[in-house]
Formats: sequence, C-alpha cells, structure tokens
Amino acid sequence: MSNTKSLLTIKDLHASVEEKQIIKGLDLDIKPGEVHAIMGPNGAGKSTLGYVLSGRDGYTVDSGSVTLDGEDLLEMETEDRARAGLFLAFQYPVEIPGVSNLEFLKASVDAQRQARGEDAITSADFLKEAKAACKQVNLPVAFLKRGVNEGFSGGEKKRNELMQMLLLKPKLCILDETDSGLDIDALQVVAEGVNSQRSADRSFIVVTHYQRLLDYIKPDFVHVLSDGKIVKSGDASLALELEAQGYAWLQKEPAEDELEG
Amino acid sequence: MSEWLESAIARAQGINDWLAPKRAHALELLANTKWPTRKTEAWRYTPLRPVERTQAKVISDKVNLSPVVIADLSAIELVFVNGQFDQAQLAKALPEGLSISLGSELGSAEKADALSIFSTIKPERHIFGLVNDALAQDVVVVSVAEGVEITQPIRISSLLSQGAESHTRVQVVLSAGSRLTVIEDVQAQGDSFNTAFVEYNVAANARLEHYRFALQTGSNVAIGGSHFNLHDHAKMNSTIVGFGSDLSRLDTDIIHAGEFADAKLNAMYLLDGKELFDLHATVEHAKPNGKTEENVRCIVADRARAVFNGRIHIHRDAQKTLAELNNRNLLLSDKAEINTKPELEIYADDVKCAHGATVAQIDKQALYYLQTRGVSRSKAQVMLNFGFINELIDLMPNAALAEWIRPIIRERFAQMEVK
Repeated sequence: MSNTKSLLTIKDLHASVEEKQIIKGLDLDIKPGEVHAIMGPNGAGKSTLGYVLSGRDGYTVDSGSVTLDGEDLLEMETEDRARAGLFLAFQYPVEIPGVSNLEFLKASVDAQRQARGEDAITSADFLKEAKAACKQVNLPVAFLKRGVNEGFSGGEKKRNELMQMLLLKPKLCILDETDSGLDIDALQVVAEGVNSQRSADRSFIVVTHYQRLLDYIKPDFVHVLSDGKIVKSGDASLALELEAQGYAWLQKEPAEDELEG
Repeated sequence: MSEWLESAIARAQGINDWLAPKRAHALELLANTKWPTRKTEAWRYTPLRPVERTQAKVISDKVNLSPVVIADLSAIELVFVNGQFDQAQLAKALPEGLSISLGSELGSAEKADALSIFSTIKPERHIFGLVNDALAQDVVVVSVAEGVEITQPIRISSLLSQGAESHTRVQVVLSAGSRLTVIEDVQAQGDSFNTAFVEYNVAANARLEHYRFALQTGSNVAIGGSHFNLHDHAKMNSTIVGFGSDLSRLDTDIIHAGEFADAKLNAMYLLDGKELFDLHATVEHAKPNGKTEENVRCIVADRARAVFNGRIHIHRDAQKTLAELNNRNLLLSDKAEINTKPELEIYADDVKCAHGATVAQIDKQALYYLQTRGVSRSKAQVMLNFGFINELIDLMPNAALAEWIRPIIRERFAQMEVK
C-alpha cells in the first residue's frame, strides 16, 4: 500500500478562525480507496478541518501544506477544489429557497464537466440521472423541484447531500457528522449510499463524534483529533475503544488557561 | 410650477369630451398643486429632473407597433400605440359577458356608470394621475358581466415609439361574482414619456388576477398606477415586475371598500446601471375582516436606486383585519441604494398587522455552499439573485407568464454580473 501515490496529504497544518487557532499541526495521509474516520470530542476542530480543506471564507491557513492528487489544494478557489474532486457533505446543509434542487444539481454537474472540458449535459439526460439518484437515496422525485434543502427534514438534507455525491462522483468525500440528527433508519440509508460509492479510486474522510456510524461504514483507519491535532491513530478497533472509554484518556492535561476558563 | 406641467395643462384645455367635468376637476387640482421637489414626501427620493428635461412629444401620426409575443399566452389584446387606442388589434369577437370599448362610444347609461367610477379609485394625490385625467386621450372601459368568468387574459399594452409621449387610461369593472385576468405592460423604445393608469372596480365576490410589467429600461420616463377597489368578499392577486429606467414610478392603491376582501400583492424589481424605480404601495383597510399580504423584493446593482414606500392604513372600523407587509432588498454594490419605508397607521384595536423590511447583501453561506459543489462564484451569485426573485415568480398563477418572464430576468442578472 505504501507504494501507492497518496490522494490527500496534509502536512503540519495550522489553521485559525477569527484569529483563534483551531488546527494546530495536523498530519494526515490518505491513499485512493481508503476510508478514514476522524473522531474526537466537541471543539476538537473536526468541522473546521472540512471547512479549511474546502476553502471557506474566514478560515485561514497559517502554515502547513495540503495536496490533493499532488496539486496544492490551498492555492485553489473553493469551486476549483470541488472540480479537482473534493466533496464536503455538510453537517448542516444550507437552505436556498428559490433555487430548485434540480437547477442546483445540474449547475454543479455542468460546472465540473466544464472543468474537465466536457459539454454541459442535456436537461433530459440529467433529469434521468437525477431521478435515478433520488431513487438510490430514497428521496421522492418531487424533491428535485423544491428549493435546495428548503423545508427538508434533517434526514432528507443528508440524503440530498448524498445524492449530490452520487452525481458529482468526487475523488475525496468528507462526511461532516453525517450521522448527527439521523434516526437509525435514515442512518442506514445514508450508510448504504456511502458504501455503494466506495471504490478503489474514491476515498472518504468520515468525521463523527460517535462510533455508531462506523458500524455501518467500516473505516480502514481511525484517527482521534484532539485540540487541533491527531493524537492517536489505529484501525477500526480504536473506535470501539473510544466508545467504551470516552475521549478523556486521550486528552492531554488541560492547559492552565483552560482550567481557569 | 414646472414648464413641463404648464405646457401639459395648456394642452389639456382644448379637450372637450364625455370626461369634460372630470378633466376640469383635475385641472383645477393641478393648478393648486406644487411641483414636487426633494421636500415633497411622496417624491423625496425620486427627482423629477428627467420629466423637466424630457424632449418626448405627442406623435399623432399613426405608427404600427404590436406587443411582444408571449409563448403559450393567448390574450385578448388591448393595445395603445403612442397613446391612441388601436382598435384594429382588438379581437372582433369577444367572449360573451365581456365588453371592451372606448368610453366615448358607450351608450349613455354605461357612460354614466363609467363616469361615476372614473378617478374615484385612483387617489387625487398623484400629480401625474391628475395629468393623466386631463390628458388621456382614448379612455377605454372594460367590463365583465355578473357571474361571468373570462378565461382568456386581457393584455393592456401601451406601446411607444422613440421619443413619444403618451397618456393611457383604462377602467376595468368586474361585476359581482365575475372573474378576470388583466396584464398591464408598457413597451417603450427610448426617450419616451408615458403615464399609464388603470382603475379596477372589483364587485362583491369577484376575483381579479393582475400583472403589471414595467420592463422598459434606459432613457424612458414611465409613471403609472394600478388602483383597486375591493368590495365584499372580492379577491385580487397582483404581481408586479419592474426594471428601472431614467425614472420609473409606480403607485398601487388597494382599497378594502367591502368586508372580507382578500388582496395579495407580490412585487419584484431589479435595477442596474443608474436606473431608478420607485414603488409606492398603499393599502386602505376601510372595512372589517379584510386580508392583505404584500411581498416586495428588490435587487439593486451598480449605482441604481430603488424606492419603496409601503403604507397600510387600517381605519377605525376595520376590526379583524389581517395585514402583512414584507420587504426584502439585496444590494449588489457599494454604490447601489435602497430607500424603503414601511408606514403603518392603525386605528382599530383588534387587528393583526405585521411588517418587516430588510436590506442585505448576498447570503455568504449559500454562496459558499454552491462553490463547494464546483459552481463558480459569479454563477453562484446569479443563481442566488435569481432564486431570491424566483420565489415570487413561482407564486405567479399564470404559468405562461412565469415561463416568459423567467429567462428575461435570468438574462438581466447575467448582465448585472458583467459589470
């Protein structure tokens, strides 16, 4: 495995939000086809990592490097990162009333096709694909006509994220707390969708607080993120250990200022 | 008083027709009206310089112009060309229960009815409404008989050639229990000046579906109004779409003259360049149990200026009124301007009345979300702007009109982004 070229390489990443350092020296190497789970307590920087990798405004990289497929990810605009194959499934997908889901999905697919030098997909062909994707994630076709995520339940939003993933076929998917707010049935649907997309040339970062999701999406590696860096890595059994013991045993002695706070 | 108004008054003196008493009354009021300045509240943000400087002239020679074709819309066409009613463009046979006629050609009883309504729904405070009273040459009266539903929409088009001045006036009467759809549209070719006013009398249990498109841009001056009188259980649903021009001013007045009337007004305007659009919407709840829902959305780019004045007046007797006014604005540049003023006057104590006005820039979270899917920032902006307006377009009851206006608006957003 070590001979394979890495898909994502993060080296000594430091990043901050509004001058507050959140990521404090993070290293991660992901090869094609691998599923990495990132677990950690609240406030460890789990969601921040996804935002930093996708290039969200206000999330500043202070030092370190990130390459996707050998290219400098941090130099790219958000949309170019997506076109290069990065996909972030949001914990809280944004509602956009007035923009239909179908229009949004087609614009996304077209933008990425265009980046690859392909023509826009015809509306008829796209509708077929989108309907098939709806079916796969168990969303009624009527959701294509509704505003993006508008009035969707938590589970429907997550399934809508999954549908975007199916249509965009990214190389690297970051699932940010995809399990939050899902009941067990919805969780299964989402997990099955993710599993159906696992392949030798697609990798996943599964960010989660709980081990439960990992019963359904089996990771190759589990990392524990605490205070902005990875403090322990292991295989799937690490997740079970965490479930049993919590995070406290992995965290360093709290710093003085945190004690005071 | 301005030179322009003086010459308008002078031109109106010679007209002697069935509306003579109304015209004389308007002239009398005009003689006592001060030319609006920045100190005149109703015109505070809308300077009248483009009117003072207009070179537009009345063109009396016949010009052939026809309204734009709207796919899938089969309308009864009521066309004014440079202010003259073009009877040749009106269908020879109208549906039973519908009549469209020059007021001057009505029988004496109908004429008396028309006269009793003329200029009673449009408030006298509109200076250009008075100008229109005095100068509108061909006044057309549309009426629907009791209980009749006219399925084909009527489209009132005011078409202007380059440099033309026109004053058009229509009266629409829906008898009790009738149903009608009316589309108002002005299409001007530049350097023009027009006033276009329509008064609607909606009798008990009648239903009016109404659209007003003010899409002329550039060097046109367009001032007009749509005024509605709602009787018991009458319903209206109005959609206004406006682009700006050198000066575009629209007044709507909705009068709840009967109980249990129901009014919906959705207005959207999209301004670019140095355009100006001013919407003054007034709702008078004079009777109890009325309902009004108003949504006004505006997007202003570049150095354009938008004005919105939304007045809701709930009279002392108008108990159990439900009135809602929502105004949302998006500014696309630092130099763009929006002047918005909700004005609620409530004299009844058992009413529900809500209002809100927001001015914002584009939703950054939504922009980021679209970008994470590969959509470019500029394309994402167009999509979000469009979405903001599209919510109201989705509410348009007439599908053919919605399908027609969507690409026009999309095109306008794409242009806004280029700059």
